[in-house]
Amino acid sequence: MAKTFRLELLASDRPFYIGECEHLVYPAHDGLMGILPGHESLVTIVQPGEIKYKVDGEWRYCAISEGFAEVRSDYVLILGDAIELPDEIDAKRAEEAAGRAKELMRQKQSILEYYHTQAALNRAMNRLKISKRHSHEI
Amino acid sequence: MSNMHEIRERIKSIGDIMKITNAMYLISSSKLKKAKKDLAATEPYFNKLLYAMRSILSRAPEEADELTYFDERTHIPEQKRKKALLIITADKGMCGSYNHNVIAAAEKVMEETEMSHLSVMGQVGRMYFQRKARAGKLQLDPHFFYTTQNPNLYRARSIAESLMERFAKGEVDDVYVVYTKMINSMEYEPHVQQLLPLDVTHFVADENDVTKHHEAEFYPTVEAVMQHLIPNFMKGLIYGAMVESFCSEQQARMTAMDSATTSAKDMLAALSLQYNRARQAAITQEISEVCGGSAAMESGG
Repeated sequence: MAKTFRLELLASDRPFYIGECEHLVYPAHDGLMGILPGHESLVTIVQPGEIKYKVDGEWRYCAISEGFAEVRSDYVLILGDAIELPDEIDAKRAEEAAGRAKELMRQKQSILEYYHTQAALNRAMNRLKISKRHSHEI
Repeated sequence: MSNMHEIRERIKSIGDIMKITNAMYLISSSKLKKAKKDLAATEPYFNKLLYAMRSILSRAPEEADELTYFDERTHIPEQKRKKALLIITADKGMCGSYNHNVIAAAEKVMEETEMSHLSVMGQVGRMYFQRKARAGKLQLDPHFFYTTQNPNLYRARSIAESLMERFAKGEVDDVYVVYTKMINSMEYEPHVQQLLPLDVTHFVADENDVTKHHEAEFYPTVEAVMQHLIPNFMKGLIYGAMVESFCSEQQARMTAMDSATTSAKDMLAALSLQYNRARQAAITQEISEVCGGSAAMESGG
């Protein structure tokens, strides 16, 4: 039995995963961040991307839009706007959203609008990427 | 005779109103079901968010106090502070004291200062404060149009952004959200939560709850983390407040409409008794008139 820590992945619309975990990898602001049991206390940003976590020797994957993480030696909490399984992502919808965002990017916008569209584009692209990566594994 | 007619009219009108209140009861109870499901799904997130804020804010190093959103602006005296309030009311009335309670709670906060800036969600509160705004003392954001129906993160995000921008520009010195909180599945009460400037004491019930953890490392830097974290906090808190309020609203409307239907039933029962009495009295009177008439005929003939 490998050493574990308690992991809580909470999305704003549902608790996604609460339980023991052996190894966690999530997208921090400048690249992936791996957490093993006994990690030092840390507070970080979570970027849109893919989270993977190992439960009972098996890797599980999910997509996260932005959020933040609180790490302690025996406990990790990740709060995200949305956390989804690769299967749950509606690729078509994500593609439409990406298309919309790209079109908006071409328009003249205020800085705030520009950031909004950029964030929307990021979220859509991330969803697409993850659903594509896992779609062949059926 | 006219009495009987009047009573019949009343019975009819009460019956019609009862149909409406009963329909509203059914609508709000089905909406409540959905709202409760949303609330149950969001609650873990909301509670953990509060918990994380407590824990992160109490572990934040001293240097964090100098960041924009921690600036308490203590040089401004209590009376002169400009307060921004995000008030969450319902779009409709017919929900008992729900709107009244929220508005009363907001007004209590507004009394503390000379000038308050209001952003009101929901038509009822909007209308109320619009009337008051003409009298001065408070300013209502005229472009703040958000509904309280079916709360979503997108709405919460844009509200959080506009509030934070005004705080950062110095247009306001304190930011509060006034909403209704579910205590348990039946009870709810208005609640005032201060959002900005950030201070850990706003998120705890009493001082002893402030846990002084050993300091945590902020990666990459305190500024970068806070810059990202604070909008996230605000958005989450506002979303949570919206979900709680929506759920309370449906609960309040359901209770109000239920008691309206019950009292309509009571009135109908009382009225139908009165109606029967009046009818009986009329019949008795008619019989006695007939009897009296025939008696007079006999004695006369």
